[in-house]
Amino acid sequence: MAKYVIKRIVLAIVSILIICAITFFAMNAIPGGPFNSEKAQSAAVKAVLESRFHLDQPVWKQFLIYMGNLSHGDFGVSLKTGRDIATTISEAFAVSAHLGLIAMVLALICGIIFGSIAALFRNKFADRLIVFMATLATAVPSFVLASLLLLVFCIKLKLIPVWSSYNPNYILPVISLSLYPMAYITRLTKTSMLDVLGQDYVRTAKAKGVPIISVIFKHALRNALIPVITYVGPMTAAILTGSLVVETIFTIGGLGSKFVDSITNRDYPMIMGTTIFLAVLMVVVNLLSDLVYKLVDPRIKFE
Amino acid sequence: MKKLIVALLIGAMTASVLTGCGGSKASGVASATSDISKVLRVCLASEPDHLDPALNSTVDGASLAVNSFVGLYTYDKDGNLAPALVTDTQVSDDKLTYTFTMKDGLKWSDGSDLTAKDFEYSWKRAADPATTSDYGYLFDIFAKDADGNIQVTASDDGKTLTAVLASPCAYFESLLAFPTFMPVKKEAVEAPADHETNPGSWASEAGFVTNGPFTLKEWKHNESMVYVKNPYYYDADKVKLEEIDYMLSSDDTAMFSAYNANNLDLIDSAPNDELANLKGKDDFYVADTIGTYYVGFNVNSSLFDGKTPEQANAMRKAITYLIDRQIIVDNIGQTGQIPANTFIPNSMSDGEGGMFKENTDSYTYPDEASVGYYPIEVNIEKAVELLKEAGYEFDDNNMLSASTPLTLNYLTNDGTGNIAIAQQIQQDVAQIGISMDIQQEDWQTFLNDRKNGNFDIAREGWLADYDDPVNMLEICAPNGDDSGNDDMQLGLNPTESAPKWDEYIDLLKQIKSEADSDKRLAMMHKAEDMIMETGAIIPLYYYNDFYLLKTNVSGVYCNVFGMKYFMYAEKAV
Repeated sequence: MAKYVIKRIVLAIVSILIICAITFFAMNAIPGGPFNSEKAQSAAVKAVLESRFHLDQPVWKQFLIYMGNLSHGDFGVSLKTGRDIATTISEAFAVSAHLGLIAMVLALICGIIFGSIAALFRNKFADRLIVFMATLATAVPSFVLASLLLLVFCIKLKLIPVWSSYNPNYILPVISLSLYPMAYITRLTKTSMLDVLGQDYVRTAKAKGVPIISVIFKHALRNALIPVITYVGPMTAAILTGSLVVETIFTIGGLGSKFVDSITNRDYPMIMGTTIFLAVLMVVVNLLSDLVYKLVDPRIKFE
Repeated sequence: MKKLIVALLIGAMTASVLTGCGGSKASGVASATSDISKVLRVCLASEPDHLDPALNSTVDGASLAVNSFVGLYTYDKDGNLAPALVTDTQVSDDKLTYTFTMKDGLKWSDGSDLTAKDFEYSWKRAADPATTSDYGYLFDIFAKDADGNIQVTASDDGKTLTAVLASPCAYFESLLAFPTFMPVKKEAVEAPADHETNPGSWASEAGFVTNGPFTLKEWKHNESMVYVKNPYYYDADKVKLEEIDYMLSSDDTAMFSAYNANNLDLIDSAPNDELANLKGKDDFYVADTIGTYYVGFNVNSSLFDGKTPEQANAMRKAITYLIDRQIIVDNIGQTGQIPANTFIPNSMSDGEGGMFKENTDSYTYPDEASVGYYPIEVNIEKAVELLKEAGYEFDDNNMLSASTPLTLNYLTNDGTGNIAIAQQIQQDVAQIGISMDIQQEDWQTFLNDRKNGNFDIAREGWLADYDDPVNMLEICAPNGDDSGNDDMQLGLNPTESAPKWDEYIDLLKQIKSEADSDKRLAMMHKAEDMIMETGAIIPLYYYNDFYLLKTNVSGVYCNVFGMKYFMYAEKAV
C-alpha cells in the first residue's frame, strides 16, 4: 500500500512537471502579450517591463527562471494587476471551494438517495419521476439554469438580490452547480444498485432473513458506490475550482473566471499558477478516490 | 468503517451547511450605512487592474480614480474644467511656466497634510519609466533638467508648485484633472517592500490613502468594492453620499438584471438587444464623449500592389462612399451616435475656445456643406468612379467585372456591435460586387495582427485622453515614436503605393512646439487633411456614452472622456 502511494506520488510529480512545460511553451507561442495595448507603449516603459519580468530572455530561459522560483514556492505576481498570484488563487479558491463543497455534498447525498430509491422501486412511479427529472437536469446547461433561477427568484419574485456588496447569497449558485452532478450521481447509483441487487450475495442475505434496510446499506450500497466514487474524484476537482458561467451570472469572485481571464489577458504567471493548481488538485483527488475504493471494497488490490 | 464514512459525511455536510448559511443569515443587514439614501450602488466594469491613479489606463478605472482622488483641477457639474486644490494659477507670458498656489489646509484621507511637495513627488514618479505608467508619456511636454527629470518644483513651504514646459501646451490645464496627474502619498506608496518592482502594490488592497471624496473600505475581488466618504476631502461639506458600492462585473446581462431588480442605481452598459427599448426612457442618459469609431486600411496590403499612390488612395476612398453610416448608428449603435465624416471627433475643441470641426475664415472642409471630407449619404456612382480610376472595370449595372475582382479581408475583435458593423460593411461593399471576408479574433490576437499589418481593413476606434486634436493625430505616428500605434502602417516599410511619410512626422513635431494658436490650428487641419487624403482612415461615427440611472438619483455627471463623478449625487427615497 505504502509502496503504491509513493509510486503514485512520484508519477504525479512527473506529470505535473510535464504539464508545466507544455503550458509554458504553449502560452508563449500564442500571439499577443501581456503588455499590448491599443496605443504603443513608450520604448523606455516597455524596456523596464520586459526586463522586470524577464520577457526579454529566450523562452527556455524564462522557463528555467520560472521553475526556479516555483521550486521555493514563488508563483510571482500577476502581470496585469501586480497582485501576488498565490494570494489571488487562494482567495478565489476559498470562495469557489466554499460553494463547490456545499454543492458537492448536496449532489452526493441527494444523488445517492434518489438513485437508490429509483433502483428499489424500479419501473414504479417514483423511479419514472426520478429518471425523468435526472434526464432533464443533465440536459439543461448551467447557463440556462442559472439565468432561469435568477429570473424567477431575483427579478420576478424579488426574494434574493441579484447582487449585494454586504450579503452575497449562495443559494442560487449552489443549486446551479449541484444539479448536474446530482442527476449524474442519481443515474450512476441507480444502474449500479440494480446490478448489485441482482447479485447472489444480496439474495443470500435476503434469504438468511437479514432486514431489508441492512441489506441495502450494508451489502448493496457499499458495492454500488464504486462507480460513483470514480466519478466523484474528478468531479470534485472541477466543481471546487469554480464555474465561469455561474460566477459570471451571479458575480462571484471565484477561481473559474481566473482560468479564462488569465488567458485572455496573456497574464503568463497567472496562466501557470491556475494550471498548476488545477493539475495538483486533479492528481490529489484522483489518488484519494483510488484510496477510497480500497476502503469501500477490500477486494480491490493495488498493483 | 461504515459508521466512520457516515460520520464523516454528516460532519462535512453540517460544517458546510453551517458556514454556507453564514452569508444568508446576515441578510437583514443592508449595508454599513443604515440609510440607503446615502448609498449609491453602481456597476461600471469588472475588477479594475490598478487603483493607483498613475497606473490606471482605462476609462472605468478613471471613473474610480476621480471619485477617490482629486488633482489640481477637476470637472464641475457642467462638465467644465475648474480649479480644485488650487486658489490661483499664474502662467508666464511665454506660456511655459505655470505657478500654482495651493489651497490652505488640504489633507490626505489619513488626516496628514497634503502640500505642493506631494504633487512634485507624484508627477516625477508618474513620469519615471520605472513606474511603468501607460500614460507616462503625457509628461513629455515638460522641460527636463540636466538629470532628465521633469521640471516641477514645490516651494519650501509647500504652498506653490511650479511647472516648466518644453513648449506651450494648449491642453495642459485639462491634464491637471487627468488621473495620471493626481497626487499619491509618498509614505504610502513606498511602504510595501516590493514597491520598486511592483509600483501599484500599495493600492492593491482596501484601506490605502487617497485625497478625493471617497476612500476604499472593503474590496471583495471580482465581487464588490465599498467606498466610504472621506471626511478630509477639501469639499467634503458638499458630499451628501456616505458610501458608494461598486458591483464588479462586465457582464451586461448580470448588471442589467441587478439594475432591474433595484439592487443597483447606475449601470453604464446594457445588453445590445435591450437598447431599442431603453432609448427615450427617463432613466436613460446619453453623454457626449470625444472619440471616433473608424476602420483603417493597411496601406501596405497586397491589394495595392502595382498601384500608384493616387490609385491606392482612390481605392480606399471608394469604400468610404459605399458605407451606410446612418444604418450603422440607427440599427447597431442605437444610442444616437452621430455619423462621422472627419477623423477628429465633432466634440473636440480647437484649443482656442471653439470647436475644431467647423468651417472658419481660415479653413474650410473639402465638403463644405457637411463640414467634413465627404457627405454622409452613400454615393455608389462616386465609388465606382474612384475604382475605375484605380483600374477596376464595371459592367452597365455598376457591378465589378469578373476580370478585375476585389476581395477584402476585414479584421475585428469579438463583440456583438463590432461584428454587426463588419456585416453591414460587407453588405454595403457587395452592392458593387466587392467581396469581403470577416476575420474575428480575441482581443490580444487582434491587437497583434493589427499592429503587424496582417489585414486589409481593420476595426479601429479611439477615445481621446485629452481634449486636443493632437491626441488623435498622433495615433498615425509610427510605432515607438510618440504614442502612436499606426495600425494603418502609414510610412512603415514604404512601398510604391504607400511612400514614406516623413512630412507628417515633421508636421506633428511642429504642432507640438508651436506657440501661436492660429498657426497651430492651421497645421492640425493640414495634418488631418493629409490623413484623410490617403483614404486609409474611414470614420464611421463619433462615440457617445450611455448609462442608466434611477430617476430618484440626481447630481451624477460625466465629462467628455466618459469619467463619471458621483460625489455630488443625491438620492431621494
